[in-house]
Amino acid sequence: MQREVGSLPLAPALRARLAAAGFQTAQELLETGPCGLSKELGISKEEALEALQVVRQECHGDTARTARGSGATRKFTALELLEEEQAQGFIITFCSALDNMLGGGVQLTKITEICGAPGVGKTQLCMQLAVDVQIPECFGGVAGEAVFIDTEGSFMVDRVVDIAAACVQHCQLIAEAQREEDHLKALETFSVESILSHIYYFRCRDYVELLAQVYLLPEFLSEHSKVRLVVIDGIAFPFRHDFEDLSLRTRLLNGLAQQLIITANDHKSAVVLTNQMTTRIGQSQSTLVPALGESWGHAATVRLIFHWDNSQRLATLYKSPSQKEATIPYDITPRGFRDVQPPAVAPSADGTERNPRKRPRREEEKQ
Amino acid sequence: MDWDQFDLNPKTVAALKKADIKSIKEILNFSEADLQRLMKLSSADIQCLLKTVSRTLRKNSMLTALQLYQDKDHLTSQHQKLSLGCSVLDNLLKGGIPLVGITELAGESSAGKTQISLQLCLCVQYPYEYGGLESGAVYICTEDAFPSKRLHQLIDQQHKLRADVPAEVIQKIKFGNSIFVEHAADIDTFHKCITKRLSLLLARGMVRLVVIDSIAALFRCEFGVSESVTKARYLQTFGAQLHSLSTRFRTPIMCINQVWYQNCCSFYRRVMMQSLVVGNRVAPALGITWANQLLMRLMASRVSWPGQASGVASHCTGSLRTLRVVFAPHLPPSSCYYTVQLEGVKGIK
Repeated sequence: MQREVGSLPLAPALRARLAAAGFQTAQELLETGPCGLSKELGISKEEALEALQVVRQECHGDTARTARGSGATRKFTALELLEEEQAQGFIITFCSALDNMLGGGVQLTKITEICGAPGVGKTQLCMQLAVDVQIPECFGGVAGEAVFIDTEGSFMVDRVVDIAAACVQHCQLIAEAQREEDHLKALETFSVESILSHIYYFRCRDYVELLAQVYLLPEFLSEHSKVRLVVIDGIAFPFRHDFEDLSLRTRLLNGLAQQLIITANDHKSAVVLTNQMTTRIGQSQSTLVPALGESWGHAATVRLIFHWDNSQRLATLYKSPSQKEATIPYDITPRGFRDVQPPAVAPSADGTERNPRKRPRREEEKQ
Repeated sequence: MDWDQFDLNPKTVAALKKADIKSIKEILNFSEADLQRLMKLSSADIQCLLKTVSRTLRKNSMLTALQLYQDKDHLTSQHQKLSLGCSVLDNLLKGGIPLVGITELAGESSAGKTQISLQLCLCVQYPYEYGGLESGAVYICTEDAFPSKRLHQLIDQQHKLRADVPAEVIQKIKFGNSIFVEHAADIDTFHKCITKRLSLLLARGMVRLVVIDSIAALFRCEFGVSESVTKARYLQTFGAQLHSLSTRFRTPIMCINQVWYQNCCSFYRRVMMQSLVVGNRVAPALGITWANQLLMRLMASRVSWPGQASGVASHCTGSLRTLRVVFAPHLPPSSCYYTVQLEGVKGIK
């Protein structure tokens, strides 16, 4: 009730009038009543009634909120935040080197950005995460669902089926080895079809559709409360052409980043973005840097850069608030995103291990 | 834009008209604070406006991956691909060229890129059950003249290449009539061609394949370092326009690209090749800016020693070539051999 007039969600012109007329708190407004208000401010009676309704709703909402103790006005101690963060789940990537480097996997409530040249494996990791987020809790997963926003059209469902099948197989092997009740129960509902049915796919053809989709995300996540991962593949593609005015682009990207941060926090989901690389030509040398400019670098909490070293794929942790910078090798196999297999391992009967000295052949030819 | 048809508060509609806001794009371009000032509405009203407008734009846009997988309708399914006319090559690509997105075919000269493209122009005209799209093709030449003699040779020999298709089906197709050849030797002509001519042909449903031979030739003259920004902008604009046409009309775009050699490159070109030379001495031209626009990249090359692959070269008459998948979201890096025969390009198991 003691809420200041300036903080109420009224039209700016109306707020200016209230300030000029000397109103300071919501209490004063409510006491004046609609007739008095319309006379003092010189507005119509309907407008005064509307304004008072808004004020009443706000005050009611405030009292309810302080009673519940949730929302933007809650206070935390750092210890409480630490405990909450440690209890937070991670989405594993099936590449143990990458999971270790990230401190457990892709963290919920944070934005992770993956940058890299075309073909290095960004979309592959996104598809792997969309499957891994659904791993049941008894197998160490977060049992969530995934939203996949595709701007480039690179989401090939056949590949997701392969990755999902390998994931189910992996869980089945664990269940067989450990023979626990809840493992077997969880496997009953964990199949390729169920995995596919919990990946919600959106195709955005330009930046306007992407912005609209992100506006609708909070509503969608409230309706589908089990979603724990939002992937946007890729964020750079719609923003790298069609912008004469770069300051507009920067502003839109900042707004997008804000909304994604809020969404990640409110709904306890991980947000994963993929970005392109661009060349920055310096005085004597040139480097590959993530696209979308310097200010975009602040949007993500964690930044991974994927690159090549001859024929080996490498992932570098470029930015992280809690983990050390490091570089690890990874591989993309027919089963998905994996660790690099050491070449000393004897080739198994089905010959899926790849000898790096041999020219890559199709799987069927290795008979 | 008729704001009355939206599910909005009449006060909001009046404010929109007064502020002269004409499209959803304009609304989303403004920040919330700007909208509040412009339309003199409260923050709750603006939120409501943004949600309503977004909902209208994104109505019915959600699919689950399961629905995508189970969609077998040839008009919308991801499983539908454009066959290359040879089962070995189709197996390499798990069906053929994807219908939405830009596929690049890069390689040295006389590796067989034009041969493969001509073959695709004929394959697209077959019925859906034979891997085609029952429509024609646009062939945009940017440097050499269109190889019409070779095209007629291929047309005559179609029955030999496509033994899987009944003869009466092949005879009914008038191959030559549905291939539209365009010439665009410089960037402005090319731009006009894509924005006007191509959209027209696609909108009328007369073509379902676009071949650009070659994209590198348009950018051949050495753009200096200071012009690199202009060049990058052209590449991104072309890429975006082609991508948008491909998405709207579910039409594959096949771009032929040339290669740069690592040693005889200027500093600028070596820079552009940086991330693309993976253990090879050649890399596709145009650098990472162009590579970012692609869905799939294929590389065609001549095999240096034809007898190297044991047992393979013995029965083929032409010299041996390889078609390699460099990157694709749904394919592992893999390759296969092929030869160029009289009747067309044929893969070798």
